[in-house]
Amino acid sequence: MELSQFLQNVLNGLAIGSVYAIFALGYTLVFSILGIINFAHGAVFTLGAYFTYTLVVGQFENNGLLKGINLFPDGSPFSGTPWLFALATLVGAVVAGLVAVLVERLAFRPMRARGADPLLALVSSLGVALVLVNLIQLLVGAEIYNFPSDAYGQVQPALSFQVGDRVVIVRTVQIIIFAVSLVMLAILGYVIGRTKVGKALRAVAENPGTASLLGISVDRFILITFFLSGFLGGLAGTLVGTAFGVAGPYFGVTYGLKGLAVIVLGGLGSIPGAVVGGLVIGLAEAFVPAQYSAYKDAVAFALLFVILLVRPQGLLGRAQIQKV
Amino acid sequence: MTRAVLSIALGLLTAASAQKVQTPIPIGIALAQTGNVALLGQEQVIGARLAEKHINARGGIGGTPIKLIFQDAAGDENSAINAFQSLINKSNVVAIVGPTLSQQAFAADPIAERAKVPVIGPSNTAKGIPQIGDYVARVSAPVAVVAPNAIKQALKLNPRIKKVAVLYAQNDAFSVSETGTFQETAKAQGLDIATVQKFQTTDTDFTTQVTAVLNSGADLVIISGLAADGGNLVKQLRQLGYKGLIVGGNGLNTSNIFPVCQQYCDGVIIAQAYSPAQPSAANQLFVKEYRAQYKKDPPQFAAQAYAGVQVVVDALKALDRKKDLAQWNLNDLRTALNKQILAGKYSTPLGELRFDKEGEILQKDFYVAQIKMKDAKNGSFVYLK
Repeated sequence: MELSQFLQNVLNGLAIGSVYAIFALGYTLVFSILGIINFAHGAVFTLGAYFTYTLVVGQFENNGLLKGINLFPDGSPFSGTPWLFALATLVGAVVAGLVAVLVERLAFRPMRARGADPLLALVSSLGVALVLVNLIQLLVGAEIYNFPSDAYGQVQPALSFQVGDRVVIVRTVQIIIFAVSLVMLAILGYVIGRTKVGKALRAVAENPGTASLLGISVDRFILITFFLSGFLGGLAGTLVGTAFGVAGPYFGVTYGLKGLAVIVLGGLGSIPGAVVGGLVIGLAEAFVPAQYSAYKDAVAFALLFVILLVRPQGLLGRAQIQKV
Repeated sequence: MTRAVLSIALGLLTAASAQKVQTPIPIGIALAQTGNVALLGQEQVIGARLAEKHINARGGIGGTPIKLIFQDAAGDENSAINAFQSLINKSNVVAIVGPTLSQQAFAADPIAERAKVPVIGPSNTAKGIPQIGDYVARVSAPVAVVAPNAIKQALKLNPRIKKVAVLYAQNDAFSVSETGTFQETAKAQGLDIATVQKFQTTDTDFTTQVTAVLNSGADLVIISGLAADGGNLVKQLRQLGYKGLIVGGNGLNTSNIFPVCQQYCDGVIIAQAYSPAQPSAANQLFVKEYRAQYKKDPPQFAAQAYAGVQVVVDALKALDRKKDLAQWNLNDLRTALNKQILAGKYSTPLGELRFDKEGEILQKDFYVAQIKMKDAKNGSFVYLK
């Protein structure tokens, strides 16, 4: 492989891998606190993209119940410069976080209150995911919505570097995705590692019973966790939506599965593991030769399988020690 | 127990066989109303509903109205099979228009074949659809007939084209069959196929494929996919600096790709089996009704679904003239209807249609269009001579 091709693949892999990473972090947060996989995470991801789109464009003109409603007849206040677009992205992610809180209230808390098997919570979150996806379709139809190219001002669509006699091209949006993901990861790392909230979260994750004896409101911290998880999922949704289009109500499904592979690969419940896992899968996909690129998803899961054979606890997971 | 079940089953069978045709006349519509193909399915539903409205406003079939029974066939084989079974056994339809994808047709059409219910494929263009059985016909011209026109047109626009990059969705039967036709045509025209790239209809990130196309030095790109993936592919090709001509297959033949690739859609060449500019009276009326409701030109998928319903109804009218439809027993009508569909000649929005004895459409008019974008959102298909 030539150097230019190698660099091209690395850049492509890092861009998509970093999205996998922040998406998977949302999964991991919930898992580390509750020990369950929230299957509605993929739907929250999709919603994040739709919320941002609503703010930036203000209408869904093609199909669905919202057809004909225009929030901003005089043009959206969230469109036209990169900063306004970033603001819309943040608001979209916050609303996605609130949806995740709602999901916790409806699908997880009643189960917890009854002391139900964690598997039931998983099935119930799957139900929520289906309801959300179909609700999106009911409201806005199955069309693909793409952010208008002038929504984030005049940004060069792609940058190219000369490497030897070949050219390496990166879409600007890929660089932005990568940068935003890194910033988010740094912030999250700081919150969990260095702040009071982070301490409390870690205490709840370690042992909810003891944490509540120490005066930590477990339910409140579970809500905070869900909010953070939904925020990250929604943010990832907007990033992917900006790069590749908001590809209909179902577009979070593949990411949902991919995210699952990422956290298992990185080690369940491990925050650095989710990041490493995301980047590893992104890079692995980018290095699939172009003529076989349709098998990218299969490669991600094959890699998962191989790594689990060698390290059942995942790349950075801790081996489970059975107490006897 | 078994005996009880058997006798109930037998009872049901005899009941079904002696059934009279219901009024209003039920016609089954099994299209993708949900799922990832709903994008095309929604257009088809619009076309079918317009046909229903139009026909019933003009007295239906000899005074008896028709009623379209919709069953969501989604985008997968199982949903299509369930929709067909429900339409045939529960709704007692006289014929079915559907399903949306060729892939679903290969799974669901045999069910109609066994039950002896005529099926009209409104958008199944893969090879071998009419050959599924005696009761299967289609109003969607096969890719082998439509696709080559686009490449010839591209060569007219730029005679210096030498190298071609071909991309197709490998998880979609129709795209696989279409790309075969495209590749044969390209070779027949003396072009060199520099690279063949595959993707999935659910993909959104085409960086790998685009990088390969750019490295192959192709001066023509041919895409067989659906609207979402195809549009995204066009957008990413252009954003990463591909400057040559792009030919899109039938799956990209919808105004739904405009919001996907926006200004980058400009210049994409697409061969079509339908044009709003088709001059026949039937089409001009259809275009007028469609425009009045949706403020844009009708897409091919709406026109073909409309034509599908129209073919069934015109054939029913011919039978009704021989013997009042209410007098028929359901099974006999289904069989006679199938014969009549294949025998008739129809003036539809697609122009004049007939079928060969296998149920393959015989269509006269084909078009090649080029997308012209007015702004980021609105565009149109401009017809090339």
